[in-house]
Amino acid sequence: MGQLNMRAVHKTYGTMEVIKGIDLDIAHGEFVVFVGPSGCGKSTLLRMIAGLEEITSGEVQIDGKRVNDLPPVKRGISMVFQSYALYPHMSVYENIAFPLRVEKMKKAELDARVRRASAILKLDERLGHKPGQLSGGQRQRVAIGRAIVREPSVFLFDEPLSNLDAALRADMRVELSKLHSELDATMIYVTHDQVEAMTMADRIVVLDGGLISQVGSPLELYHKPANLFVAGFIGNPKMNFLPVVCESSGLDGVTVRLEDGGKLRLSVAGRPGMEGQKLTLGIRPEHLTTGGGDLQLTLLPRVIERLGMQTVAYASYGKDETPFTAVLAGSAPAAVNQPLHLGIAGSDCHLFDRDGVAFERDVALTDLDPTQLLQAAS
Amino acid sequence: MIDRYRWWEYVLIYLGLGLLLVFVLAPFVEAFLVSLRPLDGLFSIPYRFVTEGMSFDAYFTMWKSVPLLWRYMLNSFFIAAAVTVLGLMAIIPASYAFSRFEFKGRNVMMGCFLAVNMVSGAVLIIPLYKVMQNLGLLNTYFAMIAPGVAFVIPTGIWLLRSYLMKIPPELEEAALVDGAGRLYTLVRVIIPVAMPGIMVVAITTFIAAYAQQFLYALTFNSVNELNPLPVGLYQFFGRQHVVWNELMAASLVGILPVLLLYVFLQKYIVAGLTAGAVKS
Ligand SMILES: Nc1ncnc2c1ncn2[C@@H]1O[C@H](COP(=O)(O)OP(=O)(O)OP(=O)(O)O)[C@@H](O)[C@H]1O
Ligand SMILES: [Mg+2]
Repeated sequence: MGQLNMRAVHKTYGTMEVIKGIDLDIAHGEFVVFVGPSGCGKSTLLRMIAGLEEITSGEVQIDGKRVNDLPPVKRGISMVFQSYALYPHMSVYENIAFPLRVEKMKKAELDARVRRASAILKLDERLGHKPGQLSGGQRQRVAIGRAIVREPSVFLFDEPLSNLDAALRADMRVELSKLHSELDATMIYVTHDQVEAMTMADRIVVLDGGLISQVGSPLELYHKPANLFVAGFIGNPKMNFLPVVCESSGLDGVTVRLEDGGKLRLSVAGRPGMEGQKLTLGIRPEHLTTGGGDLQLTLLPRVIERLGMQTVAYASYGKDETPFTAVLAGSAPAAVNQPLHLGIAGSDCHLFDRDGVAFERDVALTDLDPTQLLQAAS
Repeated sequence: MIDRYRWWEYVLIYLGLGLLLVFVLAPFVEAFLVSLRPLDGLFSIPYRFVTEGMSFDAYFTMWKSVPLLWRYMLNSFFIAAAVTVLGLMAIIPASYAFSRFEFKGRNVMMGCFLAVNMVSGAVLIIPLYKVMQNLGLLNTYFAMIAPGVAFVIPTGIWLLRSYLMKIPPELEEAALVDGAGRLYTLVRVIIPVAMPGIMVVAITTFIAAYAQQFLYALTFNSVNELNPLPVGLYQFFGRQHVVWNELMAASLVGILPVLLLYVFLQKYIVAGLTAGAVKS
């Protein structure tokens, strides 16, 4: 079992509050990813779960048992560090066997367990080597081997792939996902890489300044960000934001007026009394189309990147020169400083009130095309 | 590394190095030459490098003129080794604590250690004598070892602490997550990883202990059999004259173990430094 519950978890360093009250329930077997900007407390939260950092207040439960005061092993967790933290003087075999040696496990069983772990991680031929003789990816696998050999119920990963190059990272991502399904364990994974978060997670926890901004499946976060922060954080390039004024608001849609006078009806659930208020419209760069759409925007591209498959235009919009990014087809006729007319569809747009809280969008997540998601994440 | 020096800069660098080497090595060369000379060739004026009748005789006769010479050498080595081992037993756990734990008075204590370093053993020799006398420890190995240990510990802690602070804390956290206790982690993880640093501390401690034992032996010991080499060498000072050639021969043989140890351990240090495998 690897069920984890957090109740009003706080952490302060001196007078600085780093974690400001986290409530989170993680079911057995889930793959949960913590993302957020640098310094938002991802590592701190993970280390509090691990037992490496004291919990200032609140409660962490693993399998229904309060673990606040237990050392890491007694919590039934194991952890993989960003720097691998292999023991440089021990062979790969001894590195993997270390947790079992601490337990004083019998030779035969220890050997069987180490061999099983090394088989899963394809390290059989490397068992006699020292960490210094391994490549980055192999070292990372040894670190994972050391984590799985004790067969814990919860795995914690703190940016385990960030020291690897892009190709290796992609491989390891797949391997970790496979491992997750093989081991039937709960995994909590910290990263600031969106691709990792989107591709591996069952649920993503977006942290912002020590608080949970939103929890949801990758698609949920992409299509129904709960607030401006999540909307801007998930998706690459970032979502574009435009100031708009509410014209009419009803349960079946909201009509807004852009600064150039253009009107657009969005399929979001409106709230009463919004008319005349200043709101923020969000539109993802990949949802802009050349021609078509419910409304045409005129942009002035400043930089154009041609990636072959896509063209990314970094443009400015309107008289305030609001930065605006558009992802277009590879052959899109865009040129620097040539006005570009792009269409947006009301059904693609997001709407946020003055406090940054999103209006509920009317999209069914099950009808979505997964390739869209991959595009957004890459 | 790109070759950044011009030829004349190289000449200057090597000239400087040469000068330094001459300065450092000249006493050894002279000692060696003296050890080869017969006594009456010692004070020839003008100075000559080669004098008549040079031989290695002194290296053989010295054992006869001072029969306990081998014993002094062993004593020297034993005292220095004991100081090193006992010192390390205190230095390693202490510097680990100083490098890893936050506790009240930590910085004050480190400051005190530095202050102790500045006070040489000589200043404390009379009070120490009284202590030894009251405890009935005069004329024992212990009397020569204990103060030595006390004086090498502060330096050792300063040296090793800075090395331990460079070991990533994640290594210990990993061990902690793996279920290892503090002591287990120290023995199985920290000490092996810190071995190059510990070797450096061991060498400096050994050399310091080798050098400082003279003072303690002279003061706390009057049993001939327990004397270390520096005190034992006094036996070459006869009533009328000093047997310089045998004295020099004995000195050179006496420093040989330290020299060998140093050469051997230096290799070890280099090997240890290049074997590091912590990804940073
Ligand atoms: N030991 C500490 N003492 C004081 N402040 C700390 C300590 N450790 C972390 N912090 C602070 O806590 C905040 C969160 O740090 P944390 O390492 O959890 O960030 P993170 O989300 O993991 O960031 P990154 O993506 O850069 O790893 C930071 O503002 C950091 O300065
Ligand atoms: Mg971090």
